[in-house]
Amino acid sequence: MRLYKELNSKNTIADKLLFIRYDRSVRKLLIQVVFSTFILIFFWYLISRALNLELGYAHLTSRSGFGISHTFLSDYTSNQSRWDAYIVGVVNTIRVSLVGIFLATFLGVLMGIARLSKNFLVKSIATGYVEFLRNTPLLIQIIFWQLVFLQFPQISKAWTFGGVSLWSNRGILLPLIKSDENGSLLAFILLISFILVLLLRSYLNKYKEERTNFISPNLICVSIFGTVLLATYFLLNINLSLDTPKLEVNKYGTYIPSGGFTMTPEFLAILVALVMYTGTFITEIVRGSIQSLPKGQTEAAQALGFSPYQRITLIILPQALRSIIPPLTNQYLNLTKNSSLSVAIAYPDVFMVSRTIMNNAGYALPMLFLILVTFLILSLIISLVMNLVNNRVTRIGT
Amino acid sequence: MINYRISFVVVALSIFAVFLLAACSDDDSSSSGESAVSGSNTLQTIIDRGVLKCGVNDNLTGFGVVNSAGQFEGFDIDFCKAVAAAILGDASKVEYVPLTASARFEALAANEIDLLIRNTTWTASRDRDLGNDFTAPTFYDGQGMMVKAASGYDSIESMSGTTICVLQGTTTELNLDDRFTSSGIPYTPLTFETNDPLQAAYEEGRCDGWTTDKSGLASKRAGFSNPNDHVVLAETLSKEPLGPLTRDNDSEFYDVVQWVVFGMMQAEESGITSSNVSAMASSPSDPGMARLLGVGFDGGEPSDFSFGISVDFMQDVISQVGNYGEVYDRHLVPLGLTREGSLNALWTEGGLIYAPPFR
Repeated sequence: MRLYKELNSKNTIADKLLFIRYDRSVRKLLIQVVFSTFILIFFWYLISRALNLELGYAHLTSRSGFGISHTFLSDYTSNQSRWDAYIVGVVNTIRVSLVGIFLATFLGVLMGIARLSKNFLVKSIATGYVEFLRNTPLLIQIIFWQLVFLQFPQISKAWTFGGVSLWSNRGILLPLIKSDENGSLLAFILLISFILVLLLRSYLNKYKEERTNFISPNLICVSIFGTVLLATYFLLNINLSLDTPKLEVNKYGTYIPSGGFTMTPEFLAILVALVMYTGTFITEIVRGSIQSLPKGQTEAAQALGFSPYQRITLIILPQALRSIIPPLTNQYLNLTKNSSLSVAIAYPDVFMVSRTIMNNAGYALPMLFLILVTFLILSLIISLVMNLVNNRVTRIGT
Repeated sequence: MINYRISFVVVALSIFAVFLLAACSDDDSSSSGESAVSGSNTLQTIIDRGVLKCGVNDNLTGFGVVNSAGQFEGFDIDFCKAVAAAILGDASKVEYVPLTASARFEALAANEIDLLIRNTTWTASRDRDLGNDFTAPTFYDGQGMMVKAASGYDSIESMSGTTICVLQGTTTELNLDDRFTSSGIPYTPLTFETNDPLQAAYEEGRCDGWTTDKSGLASKRAGFSNPNDHVVLAETLSKEPLGPLTRDNDSEFYDVVQWVVFGMMQAEESGITSSNVSAMASSPSDPGMARLLGVGFDGGEPSDFSFGISVDFMQDVISQVGNYGEVYDRHLVPLGLTREGSLNALWTEGGLIYAPPFR
């Protein structure tokens, strides 16, 4: 065996080959080239097989022929196309996922802090909640909550809390603020002014330290917003009314609830089950990241005279956020994907509507591919937003 | 000295090469796409495998249900047994695969089952779009609506503004919509995947009506604690011919299933039952009976129609399972579904049960 340092000249073939074998950088390059060639061949094989499949979506333009029980913000009828039905399903999934994300985060943070409490009752409630709901299957929990919400009284004997809302096993109806045609203008102005006021607030906060005598930025912003609100309301003469839910009986004796804002037992069951289940995981994430902070932070805050609320909101949570956000994104994606279990209790999310279309028209593979792409887009949007939040939070010296 | 990195690359290379070769060679054989363009021979597969895989219902008393001993029993189950008796000679050589209404067609298309006998309605889209072949219906049914007796509904028109529970992936879902929207009656459908949460919702009053085939309604109504609290409306919303189905382009197996069904109907018409089939086979009373039972008449040769199974398959079927009337009486009469005057009577008695000649 010739030593490498003798291989100065690469004149013979044997020399060249040995150079390939012994030179470190060449070897690394060679292995990478070979490996990536095989990866490319593998993917080319997969793609060529995938392209052989027929992906036809023409059937989505034909009449759907089936009704959907939850049509939010749309007047879907069975005369519309299957594509419209699919969009209704997507809206339903987004609706339950968004509300679920907000509520689960709220519950999870609360329970996470509760688990670290020194109060025995609070701590055991939080621990029991986590250990019980984390370790039981989600589908069972969904069906359980559906049965719970079915125990509400029949529609003919619904509970009316002072005539303001209606609770029965057909759903919970809450009053809604309705306005005449100027209402959308009011909402638009409110939205714009809200965004502007938020920007103003962050501007004022930036220069807070340099001003010696200042009114709190929050106070300034709230008063500006309130003035805009009242001015718009009075100047534009907007009539706001409360749309309370009513129970009418038609001539056949059927009780028909109308008005207000309906939350059906199916929506509530899937929402509550998802929130409670995902909340347990968020609880553990929050607890873990709070515990990972050095104990000195808590002690210093106590020494400086912070109240417990100030300690948590100003010292602990902002630092814990750094390690909370990435696993939290995971849980949000899990919640979104778990919402497809709602087919068991008749909540028409995108998976259930697609299943009905598949059963009526065939084309199972294109529909499954469409569902895949839909969930991919939803999940990418959620992770994009959370990554922006993460970047903001991990910025040193926020 | 061995260079471990190079040898690693060589080993990885060889594994990849083997994998690629194996995968590339699969390209030539027919892939299991949505519709089998090339013909498949399920009959031979069943004979080789030695057991028939039958897709069934496990939650509909009378048609397909698991009894207290853990055995599948029902009207549809008996037809699975009949096909197994015809092909394999033994009615017990069946593997039952319980399927929900929304999963049944995918399972058949994906070769998970050979035969689907699960109270499935024969429609044009299911025949062509979904790539199935239906045999002649074994049960002519219609869609009905069940309501609580206390509600006082007596017609579809009176159910304006109600909520109605229905199963997902069924023709009843579409027929319900057709009936209500064409008459301009507002309603809200509540679509469940399985019958158990649907039944809970109906019993708790979440929905005012339950719609499915009338035979299914009779079956579920019989299972309630107080059947008289529930009433099935008189109106029939649609035609629901129920029967077995196979995949497209599977003629040999399809013909066997078809003629087993016809054979059972013909046996009832000819008066052959499970108790007298051996006597009839040893001395058939006319040539028609002899052809049905696969024996020779008056010393002649038995007729072989080239089904690819044994010539006397109907003897196995009738002795182990029974004729059409016996199967019907065994499972559907206890539900209150009488044959007299219905479409399920023999054609000689005014019904639609009619078998083409065994000739």
